[in-house]
Amino acid sequence: MPRPASGRRLLPGFGLSLGCTLVYLSLLILLPLAGLAFKASELSLAQWWAIATSERALASYRVTFGASLLAAMINAFFGLIVAWILVRYPFPGKRVVDSLVDLPFALPTAVAGITLATLYAGNGWIGRHLEPLGVKVAFTPLGIVVALTFIGLPFVVRTLQPVIEDIEPEIEEAAAMLGASRWQTFTRVLLPALFPALLTGFTLAFSRSIGEYGSVIFIAGNLPLISEITPLLIIAKLEQYDVVGATALAVVMLIISFVMLLAVNALQWWAASRLHRRSGSADERR
Amino acid sequence: MSIEIRAIGKRFGSFVALEDINLHIPSGELVALLGPSGCGKTTLLRIIAGMESADHGQVLFGGEEATHLPARDRKVGFVFQHYALFRHMSVFENVAFGLRVKPRRVRPTEAEIRRRVMELLDLVQLDWLADRYPSQLSGGQRQRIALARALAVEPRVLLLDEPFGALDTRVRKELRRWLRRLHDEMHISSVFVTHDQEEALEVADRVVVMNRGRIEQIGSPDEVYSAPASPFVYQFLGNVNVFHSRVHGAWAEIGRESPAAYASAEAMAFVRPHDIDIERQPVVGSLEARVQDVHLIGPLVRVELAHATELIEVELTRERAALLSLVRGQQVWLKPRQVRVFALPETTLEDEGSGI
Repeated sequence: MPRPASGRRLLPGFGLSLGCTLVYLSLLILLPLAGLAFKASELSLAQWWAIATSERALASYRVTFGASLLAAMINAFFGLIVAWILVRYPFPGKRVVDSLVDLPFALPTAVAGITLATLYAGNGWIGRHLEPLGVKVAFTPLGIVVALTFIGLPFVVRTLQPVIEDIEPEIEEAAAMLGASRWQTFTRVLLPALFPALLTGFTLAFSRSIGEYGSVIFIAGNLPLISEITPLLIIAKLEQYDVVGATALAVVMLIISFVMLLAVNALQWWAASRLHRRSGSADERR
Repeated sequence: MSIEIRAIGKRFGSFVALEDINLHIPSGELVALLGPSGCGKTTLLRIIAGMESADHGQVLFGGEEATHLPARDRKVGFVFQHYALFRHMSVFENVAFGLRVKPRRVRPTEAEIRRRVMELLDLVQLDWLADRYPSQLSGGQRQRIALARALAVEPRVLLLDEPFGALDTRVRKELRRWLRRLHDEMHISSVFVTHDQEEALEVADRVVVMNRGRIEQIGSPDEVYSAPASPFVYQFLGNVNVFHSRVHGAWAEIGRESPAAYASAEAMAFVRPHDIDIERQPVVGSLEARVQDVHLIGPLVRVELAHATELIEVELTRERAALLSLVRGQQVWLKPRQVRVFALPETTLEDEGSGI
């Protein structure tokens, strides 16, 4: 953007819109977070540490982050396939499939939870066939993974779709003409180009899963130490009017989430800078 | 390595992309597939490359059957119109790609790869760009890198799909001369697709003119230009706008060279705009016309004239135009020097567009 030397910008309204943005973000995000920290400060550090590292809390972190990680990884893998199919191949009913992907966005999470719990329960349509094989899904940590996979899918697919659209089929043909196998084309040409977007989708799905409550509680069984997620533990504490204890756990969640987002963002920035190194001025596309 | 195309046919649904194509490309030749868009030239190139499969017919490389050989086993270098460089790889890695994906037992060592890549970058005169990324290069540079990348695997055949189509005129001219020199140095067979007749005539050893999935004519650039085999070739090789106006029955009667048999309303006569003389006085066999416009286009002067209701374009040298000192509305007489008559109006001529 050409910028006049006087310091006045060509595009007007910067001051006003930045002001709006800051006020909005402060009210919506910073203020509640500050409130949370303020509430937690009623506890001494030692008390906080004791609550945050209690056996039940530690178990709930393991369940929450473990299941979220697993679900996000499953989604990264299958989401890539779904996005690829939706972009690259014409097939009948493509638009229906495309809109189905958004369903986990739109569906109230409680509805999803009840549906999944019914399906995977020992007498449900799917659970009925899994149980004899010794696989119990509903009311186990596995059920949590199923629920989190369900809600995380659209994040991966919707992040990848525009990026895949951007990769011309010619790129694959070029790789093939140079003697690359399908696998080499995928690992050396396509995956590096998709990686930043895949990482973004993964992060979004993962963050969403960590905070998920509605769909999980119906299918999880909520056994302390086994299938209890941290958000549920927080609710449990609130129901016992232990607001400070709930806040302590909330702060832990906040810190872990923040650190993870930061780490993934750094990774993403690194991957993207590898992809478009110093390409600022040159035209990226025709 | 020679390429042999035998009775290749290809349909996309009800659209016939190629119909019974037979073509022999001798080893070491640079051949242009020339035609308007949609004539099947790119499809033919993609079938040779193995990216598209023919409905029937055969492709042979050096006499060996290659019809069903997968693209990656054909040892064919392919250059795309829009470069298709790998964006996340440096120029060096782009060129090295073909070497790095070779099976381990035939893969060159890292030092050998480095040597080969630098050699190729040197060949395309871009060795100083090895560490850059494709997005940092100009169009012409990108296409040269794409060419170096295609040559890295030492292909037996080089195929180029409208290689200069996305470049501006000056770069295009420079690159096609450079391609010609490169081809002569590399001693491989090359086939390139173009819709630009000037490009085909300048660069190629032989020109294959295609139209509607068929080959109209195969010949040297001089042959297809000076002895077109069909009205289509005549129209396509040359200024088409000028040509369309030349489709005019009266010429056949007036041009003395035309056989009497063709002198019916069915015949069509073709004259290149530079094969017409303008006289200020009537001469034998000349046509009366009125000057409508005079354009100075670089070294040429293009005169638009009206003969009855027909619009006729004539190209003159500047000297000749100065001698005639034409003005708008002036009455002149046209004398065609060279007329070609086709008495075959069954294939109706249509305006295919100049393609540029």
